[in-house]
Amino acid sequence: MLAALVTGIATGAVYAAVALAYNLMFSTSKVLSVTTGHLCMLGGVLGAWAMGNAHLPMPVALALAVAGGGLAGWITDVVAIRRVLARSDEHLWLLSTLALATMLQQAVGLWWGTEPKPFPRLLAQDFGAGLGDQKYWLPVVVAAAAALGLELFYRRTLYGKLFLAMSEDAFAARARGIPTDRIRSLSYVMAGMLGALAGFAAGQLTFAFFALGLTLTLNGFIALAVGGLGSNRGALAGGLALGLVNSLATYGLGGEYQQTISVGLLLLVLLLRPQGLFGVRALRPV
Amino acid sequence: MGNGGRFARAAGIAFGLIVLASAAQAAPPPLRIGWLSSLTGALSSAAIAQNQGVQFAVDEINAAGGIAGRKIELLTYDTAGDPTKAVNFAKKLVFEDKVQFVIGPVNSGESLATVPILAKAGIPNLVIGALDELIDPHRYPLAFRAINTNRQWISPANDYALKVLKRSKVALIGDTSGYGTASTKAAAELLEKAGVKPVYSVLVDPNKTDLTDEMGKARAAGADVVMPWSAATGLLARVLNARGEAGWKVPVVGHPALMAPPIRKLLNKPEYWENAFAVGYVSTTYTADGKLPERTQALLSRIRQKLGTGELDLMFWWVALGYDTVHIVEHAVKAAGGTEPAAIQKVLEATHELKGVFATYSWSPTQHNGFPDHNTLMNLANTFHDGSFQAAPQQ
Repeated sequence: MLAALVTGIATGAVYAAVALAYNLMFSTSKVLSVTTGHLCMLGGVLGAWAMGNAHLPMPVALALAVAGGGLAGWITDVVAIRRVLARSDEHLWLLSTLALATMLQQAVGLWWGTEPKPFPRLLAQDFGAGLGDQKYWLPVVVAAAAALGLELFYRRTLYGKLFLAMSEDAFAARARGIPTDRIRSLSYVMAGMLGALAGFAAGQLTFAFFALGLTLTLNGFIALAVGGLGSNRGALAGGLALGLVNSLATYGLGGEYQQTISVGLLLLVLLLRPQGLFGVRALRPV
Repeated sequence: MGNGGRFARAAGIAFGLIVLASAAQAAPPPLRIGWLSSLTGALSSAAIAQNQGVQFAVDEINAAGGIAGRKIELLTYDTAGDPTKAVNFAKKLVFEDKVQFVIGPVNSGESLATVPILAKAGIPNLVIGALDELIDPHRYPLAFRAINTNRQWISPANDYALKVLKRSKVALIGDTSGYGTASTKAAAELLEKAGVKPVYSVLVDPNKTDLTDEMGKARAAGADVVMPWSAATGLLARVLNARGEAGWKVPVVGHPALMAPPIRKLLNKPEYWENAFAVGYVSTTYTADGKLPERTQALLSRIRQKLGTGELDLMFWWVALGYDTVHIVEHAVKAAGGTEPAAIQKVLEATHELKGVFATYSWSPTQHNGFPDHNTLMNLANTFHDGSFQAAPQQ
């Protein structure tokens, strides 16, 4: 039972980090990119390659993985978002980001292979540490630090305030001279870096596996919807809730009910509290 | 141009046409074989290895003059493990490419979709998926299986756990994929037929990040053997890691993927792979003196250069199976004297003990599963070496 709780918290932290990356991109573009989970997958694969195959030291591998994630985030904006948003108000970004996510997954599959591969140990620790193993707590530390860092970024920095301004009203922000395209690009790069960092930290838990992206995209979205779109505290709470529900459902009922229960949780929250646990109900004056 | 020039040109054209016509008459049409292979995607490892065997057999046969003078034209389509793509390519092979045989698809899920289509089109199909439902001589009279059935994997594993290891408290762990669910159910049924009710049975997501709980529950239930039925190497490695980290000495007996080379790197410690046994094949098991069966060794010697330098890092049985499928086509076409489907069916249904590298095949009018039980055996999971394995101890 304790193992179920610890595993649930660890996987929940990964979902929370993906939800935070969703929030970053959503704040400036109102887009929920399907590539979000793939950015996380990329961090795991690049980190495993850099340390396991290229034998680079851990800090260099980390920098490489985060830079790779940032680049993938930027490509998401340039290829799948920029032109789509400029030309249409419809939700065509769903298709363009899905296409890019599929291409990214196929490319990684061709290059990296389709079997899960090991992620090297990041810190010197024996495998006998049980539930104190780094694979469980590293994702939790990264998710918590990312949530805290984003709060500080939004509150204390000029760029953070620009993100908030765009989140409130992108047209008004542009009218006040804010370079909205550049700010949106920056948010996608930051989301890519955050996703890759989470993937790197969770690599020992998930292995470096090319097909992980879509699962994380789905679970990150559920975490976001449960916690409340746009809320970083909500992303953390939603991720942890989803991880725990998944893990305890598997523990109690078996894995065949896991997906049903995850999606059931989403449905329940949408019915009872559509804005999510920490979301704010949008009021439109008429 | 004068009359002489016109005559020379006309003569040249006439000569060319005659040469072309006679060449066309001399060369019989190629034998077109469709090969549905998931060369990319999540299930590509086995397909890539099988493809090596298929290509090599085609090259060898063509170099020797073809089948009854007909060169083989191999049409390979990458289904990426996707049943929808497999269906589209199967239709293309039948209706556009006009193939005479189809080998594959590689995965049972894809085959479930393509076998009825090929049966309706009247094209002989060599099935290489293990799912039991793929073969039915009445509904799919031209579908012949060249690999074992799923039950031919499960039965020897059950026998090994119960009769050799003398265990009776079985914990079954399957994954939630269609294959994992069906296999775990079949394993439970076969165990119950043998008078053993599993003390613990669970299905888990193939990407579940930790199996500590499941292994803990199995242990608490009193299990004295753990039997995982999943083809997901990540999940199987996590079973072994959870067992190792708990210091539990219970044997693990199950699916062939339990001894797949990628598992080695996913284990926290190499010793976590000890005391694990997986279903394998006689054809890729070293004898007591460290040698492979004669036909396996002969193919390995011929194909080694194509598979790269150094030790093989793929399971050689997949290569052998791919190689055999083309030779089964050769046998059928030669014996039938052509590619007429009814004649091919008759020949294959009368085939008894056709010696291949992967196995020795026999089919009959009522039995289109050609793989014999005695071609499987249990391997020691951590003994992978150069594509093959050592046999599990029998006491």
